[in-house]
Amino acid sequence: MNLPDLSLQILYGRLGWAIVLATVACALWRRSAPMPRVALAAVLAVALAAMSLPGELSPAWWLGLAFQYPSGLLVGCCLLRLAERWNGIRRSRAMPQALAGVLVVVGALLYIDAMGFLARGFYYAGFGALAMPLLGLVAAIGCVLAIARGHGRGPAASLLGALALFALLRLPTGNLWDAVIDPLLWAWATSALLLAALRRSGRRASDRLAAPEQAQEQEAARNPAPGLQPLATERFSSLKE
Amino acid sequence: MENPQIPRPRPRNRVLLGCVLLVLLMLGAEGLRWTPHLHAAAHAAAQPSLAGAALGGPVTLTELSHTRIPAPQGMPSAHASSMTPLAGNRMLAFWWAGSRESGPDVKVYASTWANGAWSAPWVVASRESLGAELGFGVRRIGNPVAWTDRDGKIHLYVVATGLGGWAASRIAHIVSTDQGASFRVRRVLPTSPLFNTSALVRTSPLALSDGGWWLPVYFEIGNKYPMLMAFDAQGNPTSLARIGQSTSTLQPAIVAVSKTEVRALLRDDSEARRMQHAASVDGGASWQDLPALDLPNHNTSMAAIRLASGQFLMLHNHAADDASARSVLRLSISQDMRSWRTVADIARGKAGDEFSYPTLQQVGDELHVTYTWQRQAIAHHRYRIQAGGTI
Repeated sequence: MNLPDLSLQILYGRLGWAIVLATVACALWRRSAPMPRVALAAVLAVALAAMSLPGELSPAWWLGLAFQYPSGLLVGCCLLRLAERWNGIRRSRAMPQALAGVLVVVGALLYIDAMGFLARGFYYAGFGALAMPLLGLVAAIGCVLAIARGHGRGPAASLLGALALFALLRLPTGNLWDAVIDPLLWAWATSALLLAALRRSGRRASDRLAAPEQAQEQEAARNPAPGLQPLATERFSSLKE
Repeated sequence: MENPQIPRPRPRNRVLLGCVLLVLLMLGAEGLRWTPHLHAAAHAAAQPSLAGAALGGPVTLTELSHTRIPAPQGMPSAHASSMTPLAGNRMLAFWWAGSRESGPDVKVYASTWANGAWSAPWVVASRESLGAELGFGVRRIGNPVAWTDRDGKIHLYVVATGLGGWAASRIAHIVSTDQGASFRVRRVLPTSPLFNTSALVRTSPLALSDGGWWLPVYFEIGNKYPMLMAFDAQGNPTSLARIGQSTSTLQPAIVAVSKTEVRALLRDDSEARRMQHAASVDGGASWQDLPALDLPNHNTSMAAIRLASGQFLMLHNHAADDASARSVLRLSISQDMRSWRTVADIARGKAGDEFSYPTLQQVGDELHVTYTWQRQAIAHHRYRIQAGGTI
């Protein structure tokens, strides 16, 4: 096990929670209106200032009490969301369905194992001295390739940042799984998938409602009523003769 | 004369270049960590240490003294003691005390045994002191477990909860370089992906041949299962693993049978109400659950050690017909960790009384025992262990 120094963890916790808190605050902004950059910067500055307060005055005190540290990927995704808002992008790509799907599956296995229903030791493997850092490096190279090819550049950059924090400083806890997933990020991924599924089923339902009308129209076009059948095609020209 | 224009890299190329440099940095950082690891891998993994030369044959236990450790003033509740030896045949005890279990005023206290008496207790950890050093809040303080490393540093593991009850516990690792007078927080041990919660300590660590030790840990949200965290001689965690596959056992008391065989006696949270048992025959690398022992265990903690004679001593609650789960504290002995014989009841009360959470330490030819006395104080018994005799 290579574990990070406590002073680094405290600094990371304050910075990380400031970014997460600013993202949540921005999410509460009216969706219909774009968020001015000044407002975004002010929210981030207030979050950072609040986190730097001493002891119980700092939200980091209470967030750490409940959740300890955010994963690097959660912080990365929140940074990405803030960057999207800064650039006026309303439709977020911070949690694409492919990433959400992987996080939901990995998290479910990890948490079922940690709760004792399995005894596979998935979390303990995250401290591995050789295999896990190697896996992290391979994933980092994959992120660079994705960025180079322009596939999901934002999420790839978020993941690369989380893996770099782990490889360079072993943040947040020294366990690779804690770098790429935490229960809050898992909840975000799960809700993103659920929302996407709801949207899909909503679209299917509206398609089904629209389908009989379309079929009637098509049927009418194929078999028009006898009295309405055109006797001949009439040439039409917009030019005045 | 023409001024040739130097082509400037496009922003996208700069981003890519930055990413590649970052990956190279990561590779360098991991490479630096791997080099010492590969050297270390050439050595055999640390094995459990078998303290002292075996005396062989039966031994006699003679009680030398029994007393109670002085309680801190105005703290009527006390529980969960742990001991660790100090140089010069001294002993250091830790326990928590406060107005009530889980109360905001609960703190971990320490007292030193020297020249036949316990010192006045002093505070070594509170939720305020831990919170100030950790940078985040601690809601309540629980069981302490102590260990003295070969450099004389004292490592204290303290249960410190997050948001919630005992199931939201974390383990704070605090270290003293002045024989327990003061402690500094080293870190919170990472034990779980669920906000690092639901890991607790209660039972004593076990020494390893390389100067490291094993810290017994357990998980308790819904399911309950035991774990083992290994530390190197400097007190850095080296591995974490689950003991067996049961989901209703906790508070493992770990004993080395040989350099490769290790046993864990386990508190039972199931309907079986028997003392549970697990074994490893590969130095703790893997564990198998064994059939329960023929000893009652009504969800109570026990302590066990391997004597220098090679026999095993266990201090446990015995739930007889006329007793409640924790009203009898029994000392038992075994040659094989399977068949146990009663040596004596070191505390016996009426139903409803509580003598629980025992701890054992052998220092030279003396056996020290501490346990919770009626949730009000920590009792201490001392025995002389002599070769020959009846047990």
